[in-house]
Amino acid sequence: MDFNLMVEISPLLIKAAWITIDISVRSLFFGFFVACGLVFLQSFRFAPIRWFARGYISVIRGTPYFVQLLLVFYGGPSIGFRLDPITCGVFVGAFNIGAYMSEAIRGSIESVDSGQAEAARSLGFGRAQTLVSIVLPQAAALMIRSVGVLAIVVVKNSSLVSIISVVELTYQAQRLIGSTYKPLEIFTLTALIYIIIVYAVMGIIELAYRRAMRYTTL
Amino acid sequence: MEFDFTPVITYFPTLLQGLGVGLLVALVVAFMSIVGGLLVAVISVYVNKVVSWPLRFFIWLFMTTPLLLQLYFLYFGLGEWILIPAILVGILGLGFHYMAYNADIFIATIKAVSGGQYEASRSLGFGHIATIFYIIVPQALIRSIPQLGNNMILMVKDTSVLSAIGVAELVYASQYAISVTFRPFEFFIVIAVMYYVVNIFMELGQAWLERMTAYRR
Repeated sequence: MDFNLMVEISPLLIKAAWITIDISVRSLFFGFFVACGLVFLQSFRFAPIRWFARGYISVIRGTPYFVQLLLVFYGGPSIGFRLDPITCGVFVGAFNIGAYMSEAIRGSIESVDSGQAEAARSLGFGRAQTLVSIVLPQAAALMIRSVGVLAIVVVKNSSLVSIISVVELTYQAQRLIGSTYKPLEIFTLTALIYIIIVYAVMGIIELAYRRAMRYTTL
Repeated sequence: MEFDFTPVITYFPTLLQGLGVGLLVALVVAFMSIVGGLLVAVISVYVNKVVSWPLRFFIWLFMTTPLLLQLYFLYFGLGEWILIPAILVGILGLGFHYMAYNADIFIATIKAVSGGQYEASRSLGFGHIATIFYIIVPQALIRSIPQLGNNMILMVKDTSVLSAIGVAELVYASQYAISVTFRPFEFFIVIAVMYYVVNIFMELGQAWLERMTAYRR
């Protein structure tokens, strides 16, 4: 182990780690809205809208994220859809994780006992009001756990953005391995940074989960 | 923006070849990750801490870092000592990655099965090893099928990442064809459809397997 090298390159890796965090946070933020939109579309009475949402989720989950990224970044310009690499990473990341997240959200809403919604409706709550003030608070705890798992997936998926030449953590690590020929040192350091990020995410989820548990009856 | 799918038809054999390589890799990785994962799980549940803790450390390490980083490490790291073809590095990298994920599942199901089953089997005269392999492991395997299927579906999709280290699978084949024809959109759409079809078959297979083993649970 060459510790001098590790000290020397750590600023480079930490700078790249911020790009990883930036892409992950923005993907999650926009992905959450995509997911809510998909859940909303699936509650329509008009069937074709529901089919559209189901089809979208099925296609996104049935094809590799990597191929989606390549398709939008390299294939996009030929249909007049040009994005810079980081925006493309966030865009594809959000629309990809949104599909997974909508399933997680839908699952946690469905796990709330249907008696709760029926009781609320019979007490005179409207459909939207029942969802917001009765069902969602009870689904929140479960939702936080299942969305939290996806947050970790997003962090790990962000490594694939290196393929479209975004200098994030994995790309920086690969470049440094290429220039220094010290794979073990660089892998150790990069893995350490990923582990710190993943544990930070897990800590945030746990805190949010404990808060949400106050409202649950599950 | 006009689409021209004729180059895709011209290069379709190349794509099919890539798909074949990808599926072959997936098959080897599936075998390696299930058998390896099972062994790792059995050892880390039943053997003493000196052996099981390093194994758990590796499971943890593979689960918290991205696949691509692991592949780069193996590719450039192993390249320092021995020259091995990219496809082997890909199989090893993907294999270890999913071995960790599968082991994690098997550890949970083995723990869920043992207890009463273990004691009953020992009292009927089975030895320690025989109990593990004849009583515990088969039941744990059947209980793992749903999650194991999910993992294998994810794994087949992740074979696309192997193109980054130069394994000649589907994405790599299409990148080659694109470098000749300059038709990225058409090619990537077609390979996305190909992955989707494979995925549908895998989901059907998983559902079938779950139905077939449902009565044993």
